Amino acid sequence: MNSQVNLSEIRRDKTYEVQGFTSESSVYAEKLYKMGFVKGTPVELAPVSISDPIVVQIRGSRIALRKKEAQEILVKEL
Amino acid sequence: MHKIERIAIAGVPNSGKTTLFNSLTGARQKVGNWPGVTVEKIEGSFPLKNTRVELVDLPGTYNLSPDTPDQQVAEQVITSGEYDLIINVVDATNLTRNLYLTMDLKERTNQIVVLLNMLDVAEKEGIKVDMDRLSQDLGLPVIPVVAVDKGSVRNAVEQIEQTLDHLPPHDSHVSTQAVMDTVKKYSHIDDIYSRVAREVKDRSTNFTNRVDNIVMNRFAAIPIFMASMFITFWFAIGLGSVFIDFFDIIGGLVFVDIPAALLEAVGSPEWLIVMMAGGIGVGCQTVATFVPVVFFMFLALAILEDLGYMARVGVVADRFMRKIGLPGSAFIPMVVGFGCTVPAVMAARTLSNKRDRFMTIFMAPFMSCGARLPVYALFCAALFGAYSGLAVFLIYLTGLFMAILTGYFLKNTLFKGTPSNFVLDLPLYHVPRLGAVIKNGWLRLRSFIKRAGIIVVTAVFVLSVLNSIGYENGEFSFGNEDSKSSILAYAGKAIGPVFKPMGISEDNWPASVALFTGLFAKEAIVGTINALYAANDMSVNSEAAATEEAGGLDVGGAITEAFTTVGEGLAGIISSLDLIGIGLISEDQSTISEEIGADTSVYQHIAANFTVFSAFAYLLFVLMYFPCLAVIGAARQEMGGYYAAVMAVYSTLLAWSVATFFYQVAEGHNLFYIFLSLAVLTAIYGWLHILGKKEQSDMPVVAPPPVIKNCT
Repeated sequence: MNSQVNLSEIRRDKTYEVQGFTSESSVYAEKLYKMGFVKGTPVELAPVSISDPIVVQIRGSRIALRKKEAQEILVKEL
Repeated sequence: MHKIERIAIAGVPNSGKTTLFNSLTGARQKVGNWPGVTVEKIEGSFPLKNTRVELVDLPGTYNLSPDTPDQQVAEQVITSGEYDLIINVVDATNLTRNLYLTMDLKERTNQIVVLLNMLDVAEKEGIKVDMDRLSQDLGLPVIPVVAVDKGSVRNAVEQIEQTLDHLPPHDSHVSTQAVMDTVKKYSHIDDIYSRVAREVKDRSTNFTNRVDNIVMNRFAAIPIFMASMFITFWFAIGLGSVFIDFFDIIGGLVFVDIPAALLEAVGSPEWLIVMMAGGIGVGCQTVATFVPVVFFMFLALAILEDLGYMARVGVVADRFMRKIGLPGSAFIPMVVGFGCTVPAVMAARTLSNKRDRFMTIFMAPFMSCGARLPVYALFCAALFGAYSGLAVFLIYLTGLFMAILTGYFLKNTLFKGTPSNFVLDLPLYHVPRLGAVIKNGWLRLRSFIKRAGIIVVTAVFVLSVLNSIGYENGEFSFGNEDSKSSILAYAGKAIGPVFKPMGISEDNWPASVALFTGLFAKEAIVGTINALYAANDMSVNSEAAATEEAGGLDVGGAITEAFTTVGEGLAGIISSLDLIGIGLISEDQSTISEEIGADTSVYQHIAANFTVFSAFAYLLFVLMYFPCLAVIGAARQEMGGYYAAVMAVYSTLLAWSVATFFYQVAEGHNLFYIFLSLAVLTAIYGWLHILGKKEQSDMPVVAPPPVIKNCT
C-alpha cells in the first residue's frame, strides 16, 4: 500500500492516481475536478524538464500547474 | 418536420470549433460582443436544407458552470433555447474532457448534434474511436468531420441535414438527462470511453511531446522563448510600423486633403471644411495609422495561438510574471507595449481571466511606446547631452516600475479578490493555416476600426476643432492649429498652473498646450512644441513654422511618397535590429531634428524654458499621463467605458504626482509640493480602493439566497 504524496512531488516515469484535494471545496479543486482530476484518474509527468510550472499528463491532455498550487492535489503511486 | 433557423456551435477551447465555424460560414462573419459582457461574439450564416441559417460561435468552454463570463454566456445561450440546434464539436484526440461538456450540454437541451473532429489526428496518435457505439452511448447523433477540410465539412453538413428529422421533437428543448455531479459524470464518461475508444499506441513519444521536450527544456526554454518573443515583436511592431507612414499619408489624402479640396471647390464655408476635413477627416486618419500595427499584432497572435505555442509562452513566462501577480501569457501584451500600446491592449484579450486581462491593460501603457521616443529624443538633444542614454534608460525603467506599482495597487484595490489559479491546457502543436490566420486578423481589425474608431474620431474631432478655432481681438477665426490664439492654447495656458509644481513655469505654456495635442498621439507633442516656440516672441526666427504648411493638393506626389515609405521601412527592418528606434537617442541635434521634424532652433527654446530636472519631470509626465486617444478607444473596446475612464484618470493623476515628486525632490525643494504629490498618490490609492469596494458590492454574489426577515 503506497502512501499519498502531493502532485508537486511526483517523479518522472512513474504513474500515479488522483486521490483528492487538501481542501475539497476550494475554487482550485472545483476547477480541476471539472477538468477531470477525479479520484482514480491516472496522472503522470509529461516529458519536459522545466520544474515549475510542472506539466502533467491526464486524460490524454497536458496540463501545466504551478508547483505550489499543485501541492493541493493528492495522488498515490501505482 | 424540423425548422432550423439558428444554430450555435459549442466546444472546448482548441476543439476546432472556430475552424469549423470558418469553414461553414466562409467570408460572411460579424464580430461583436454578447450583450452586457466583453465576451466576443462571432456570427455568420451558412446554407442548410436550401435556406440560410444563422450560426453563432459560442465561447470555448470546458463546462457550463457559471464560473467565468465565457461559461456564463454559453450557459445562458444554451439554456434560453434561443438557438434551434447546438452543434457540439468534440476533439477525438481528447475525448473524455470534451465529453464532459457534452454531458453538460445534454443536461440543458436535447437538440444536439455531435461533430467528431480530428479523427485523422487521433488515428495518428493511435486512438481508434467506434463512432456508432459513441452515438448509441451518448444518445446523440455523431458525425465525423475534419474541420480544416472543406470537402469533409460539406459531407458533414449533408449528414446533419439527414439527421435533423431524427432529432427529438423540436418544441421541447427540455433535457431528458438527469443532472449528475462531477464524479458521476466522469465515471459515466470513463465507462463510455472504455467502450468506444482503443489506444493502440503509446502517446508519450508523439510529435507534440517531442517538441515540448525541447520547448520546455530546463535550459532551452528561455532562449527559445526570447527568440519567439523577438520574432513576435519584429512581426507585429517592426513589420507593422513599415506601413504606418503609408497609411498616414494615404489616410491624410483620402480623409483630409481630398475632402478639403472638394469642399473648397464647391465653395463651402471655412467652418464646414474645418469640421469635416480637419475634424472627422483627421480622426479617420488617426485610426488609419493604427491599422497596420493592429492587423499585424492580431496576425502574430493568431499564428502563435494556431501553432499551439501561445500556451507554452504562458508556461515559460509564468515563473517571473507571477511575481507581479499576472499569468505568463500577460508577457506578450507587455512586450508589444514597447512598440505600440494599442495592439498591446488588444493582445490582452488572450488572457481568459477578467482580472488578469484588466490588470494587464492598466499596466500596458507604462511600457514606453515608440511614439513617446521622439519626445524623449527632442529633450535629450536639447538638454541631456552625454547623459541622454542614461535619461532615456531611467524613463523606461520608471515605466516598468510604475507598471509593477500599478499591478500592486490594483491587486489590493480595484481588482481585489482571490488571484486566479494557474491551470493551463497545452494543446497539440499544428501548422498554422494561413487563410484562417489572415481572416482572424482581418475580422478583429474590422471590429477595432468600428468600435474603437468611434471614440477616436469623436475625440480627435473635438480637439482638432478646438485647435483650429482661434479667438483674437474679439474675433473668432479658423486655421489656428498650433498657434497661441487657438482655443486649445488658451486651455493650455489656463491649465498651466497645474504643471507649475513639476517645474513648468506659466511662461512656458507651449509645454502644457502640447500635452493636449499629445492626446492624438504622443509624438504630436514634438510638433506642437516646435510650432509654438517658433511662432512666439520667445523665438529667434518665427517664419519656419509658417511656411511649412503651404502648398496645394498633390495626389500623385502623396501616393508616390506613401509607397516610398514602405520601401524604406522594409529596407530598415531588414538592415537593423533596432526595432524600438532607440538609436534615435544617440544621434546629434541636426539629425534628430530631421528625423522627428523639428527646427534646430527648438533646442535653444527648450534649453531656455526648461532645466535638466524640469525637462526630466516633463518627460516622466509624458511617459505616464493619459495614454493616447486610440489606446483609450481600444481599452474601452476591451473593458467597457467605465474602466477605460478609470484608467485615463488614474494614469494622469499618477503621472502628475510622480513628476511633481521628482521635480520637487531634485530641484524645487518645496516641502508643500512634496507633501502634496504624496497626498495625491495616497488619494489615488484610496480612490481605487473605494471603486473596488463599490465594484464588489455591485457584483452579484453566488451565495445563499437572501433571508427574508421576520417583521416582528
